[in-house]
Amino acid sequence: MMWRDVGVTLILSLILPVVAQGARHTPPGKPKLTSCRSPDKETFTCWWEAGSDGGRPTTYSLFYHKENSETVYECPDYHTAGANSCFFNKNETSIWVNYNITVVATNALGNNFSDPVDVDVVYIVQPHTPENVTVGVLEDEDGPFLRVSWEPPRKADTRSGWITLIYELRVKLEEAEEWEEHRAGQQKMFNIFSLHSGGVYMVQVRCKPDHGFWSEWSTASYVKVPDYIPRERSMWILIAVFSAFIFLILTWIITLNRSSVKHCLLPPVPGPKIKGFDQQLLKKGKPEEVFNSLVVQSFPPRSTDYEDLLVEYLEVYVNEKQELMPEGKDLRDVGCLKSKSQSDNDSGRGSCDSHTLLMEKCGGVESKDESSYEEPELLQGQAGSWERLERGDSQVVDTPDSSDARVKTWPLVFSPSIHGSSDNHHYGTLEMPKQHSTSEITYSVPDHLFPTSTSFPHHHHPEYRDSLGEYSEYRHSRSPSTGVLYHWEAQHHPQAHSNFNIRNLERQKEATGLGLPPSRSMEYVEVQKVNQENQLVLKPLSSHGRGPSQVQFGRAVVDYSKVNGVNNDNVLLLQRQREMAEAGQYCDYREKEGAEAERYPTQQQGKTTKDGPVATQLQESTCLTTSGYVDTVPTMPTF
Amino acid sequence: MARRSQGTKLHLAVLCLVVSCHAIGLSDLMERASQRSDQLPVLGMFSFSLDSHFPPMGRVMMPRPSMCHTSSLQTPKDKEQALRVSENELISLARSLLLAWNDPLLLLSSEAPTLPHPSNGDISSKIRELQDYSKSLGDGLDILVNKMGPSSQYISSIPFKGGDLGNDKTSRLINFHFLMSCFRRDSHKIDSFLKVLRCRATKMRPETC
Repeated sequence: MMWRDVGVTLILSLILPVVAQGARHTPPGKPKLTSCRSPDKETFTCWWEAGSDGGRPTTYSLFYHKENSETVYECPDYHTAGANSCFFNKNETSIWVNYNITVVATNALGNNFSDPVDVDVVYIVQPHTPENVTVGVLEDEDGPFLRVSWEPPRKADTRSGWITLIYELRVKLEEAEEWEEHRAGQQKMFNIFSLHSGGVYMVQVRCKPDHGFWSEWSTASYVKVPDYIPRERSMWILIAVFSAFIFLILTWIITLNRSSVKHCLLPPVPGPKIKGFDQQLLKKGKPEEVFNSLVVQSFPPRSTDYEDLLVEYLEVYVNEKQELMPEGKDLRDVGCLKSKSQSDNDSGRGSCDSHTLLMEKCGGVESKDESSYEEPELLQGQAGSWERLERGDSQVVDTPDSSDARVKTWPLVFSPSIHGSSDNHHYGTLEMPKQHSTSEITYSVPDHLFPTSTSFPHHHHPEYRDSLGEYSEYRHSRSPSTGVLYHWEAQHHPQAHSNFNIRNLERQKEATGLGLPPSRSMEYVEVQKVNQENQLVLKPLSSHGRGPSQVQFGRAVVDYSKVNGVNNDNVLLLQRQREMAEAGQYCDYREKEGAEAERYPTQQQGKTTKDGPVATQLQESTCLTTSGYVDTVPTMPTF
Repeated sequence: MARRSQGTKLHLAVLCLVVSCHAIGLSDLMERASQRSDQLPVLGMFSFSLDSHFPPMGRVMMPRPSMCHTSSLQTPKDKEQALRVSENELISLARSLLLAWNDPLLLLSSEAPTLPHPSNGDISSKIRELQDYSKSLGDGLDILVNKMGPSSQYISSIPFKGGDLGNDKTSRLINFHFLMSCFRRDSHKIDSFLKVLRCRATKMRPETC
């Protein structure tokens, strides 16, 4: 008994699962239409997927009805298109008609309907892939290229215009990863250029109706490009042209800046030059014009010109017989003129340095005393330019400056400065050009300044002051009996320059020309003092009722030397008083320019031939028999 | 219609005079017409972006396509029928269909801005574009029929009776969508007919077909 129960239990346990399995059979699951496609707008196919089959063999059927009728039809062809598909042939296919399609799954236990789907064939067109894709390599002057050609899929009727297809192809090197796609439109042929020589290319084509889906890509076609030398010449040509262009531009730029480049690489060596010196004129052989041009330009010097001015020294004569009273401020410099001219510019002009000469003469001059004569230096200006220093009340003369501790010689710019002024001044101011450091300078201020025959470019103010700063004070010292002129001592001031401006006493009408009217009326001017502003205060002699030859002790007496004129050689013809008194002889003082700046032993009292070395030249010159007073003015070489 | 054809006739005559009667060839006209008609379905497709915004019940309530107002016009149903249709009839059908949509497009363009849809602005502009294309295509076809002869100038008149889209939001959306679907199909028809016509007319260039 027990064995039977066990057996039944065993059998039941074996049977039950089977039975249970049978009990799980259900109606099929719901099928689902996946897609419908038409390759040619004439037929179409629908595919579905099955749901669960419910454990039983399930059959699927498709039913449809068109939009206008209620008649339900079943799928005519289940096999042509494969499993789970329904193929509608031409006869059953209508265009521009909605199909309502439903799939039914049926098994023994029941059936299941899918959701209906509306399909209009005209919207589901997807052609087959293009056929007969051929790829060939053709040669061109630029190199080889690919020519791809194909044909439309067989089923698509493009000839009648029922379907319009557009094509697309893609190409890549075999080893490349990215495809290169090209739209070909409705044409059935396409060219591909710029190939890699020796490469293997893959080509694929697909198509699409005007309103529809893209087809699948055709199978790849392989093609090998033969080896060829790529045309890179054009690139090199471009590079060459571009480089040439750059090179030309650089050359042009360098050419434009040629001078500055040369200047940078080969800095110019300064050479001697004389300011205002015109070589061309010299070549022409007209020295007068040359000198004239020298004179004209900037004489008397303005403040800016001072650096370029030749430093002229006035030789100061110390007459042991006389003692000159120092006046004014303290003088640092010895009475002896120790000015040394310095060439300021590279013109090579040395100062008229007759230093030795001076030292001889100065000998035992006390530092404080200024017993030195000043000899007027010939003003080298224009030949024959004279200025007259007319009397003037309270002439203010600017003192020359010494930029350094010592006063330099100042080229007295008598003639040019005076003449330059356009106003009819009666006053003349002795204009001293700016000087660099020099020792003390003594000047003789003649009564008459040399009127310049040529007008100077610069104008002179009634009171010229140098704003730069250094002023030198000048003391007039009593001139010895021989008529030492003013003795100026330049006192060093840390200011810039002061200038003596000798104004044009008389306006010269002639703009150019050399030579002076030989006879002029002259007046004497006495320098009274140097005022605070380092200006020479002049006083006409007549007001003091002193004669030119009066020398007063302890007073600021001045002796004047008369300038007779300027000869053609730009030599100031000075007339010594004494000699004048003696119905004298005149000596010319000539001042030389430039390096030879000589001191001019000026008048010495009692000397008859005082001209001395200087006079050697002077003797040649003619002496004018006038009663002009010469103011020793260191000429300015550069005007 | 007659006024319109007369107008285009005059227009063409003037053109002829101006350009010394250098008229455009038939094939070129067809080419242009088919290019123009090609755009219509594309624009019509736009309306189908509305699908996602339809309430579920909308599908059920959607009118059947056979209720399109142009369904009364008999058109070929498949390729054989279409290829059997004469050219005159083809052009007539195309023009009839095109004309039938002038009024509905007007309605749609007026209703589109107030449509309860998030992108009603885009829809509105698309509708306007559609109208432009329709008009230019219609003008081109008018010129075309003048070349083809008097027998091609028959146009069927298809009235449009739809007053408005409805009152409530849902019905408006549904009716709008329905109208757009009808237009989409008809635009396809026009395009197909003209392309068949083009291939037939340009026998000299078979490669284009």
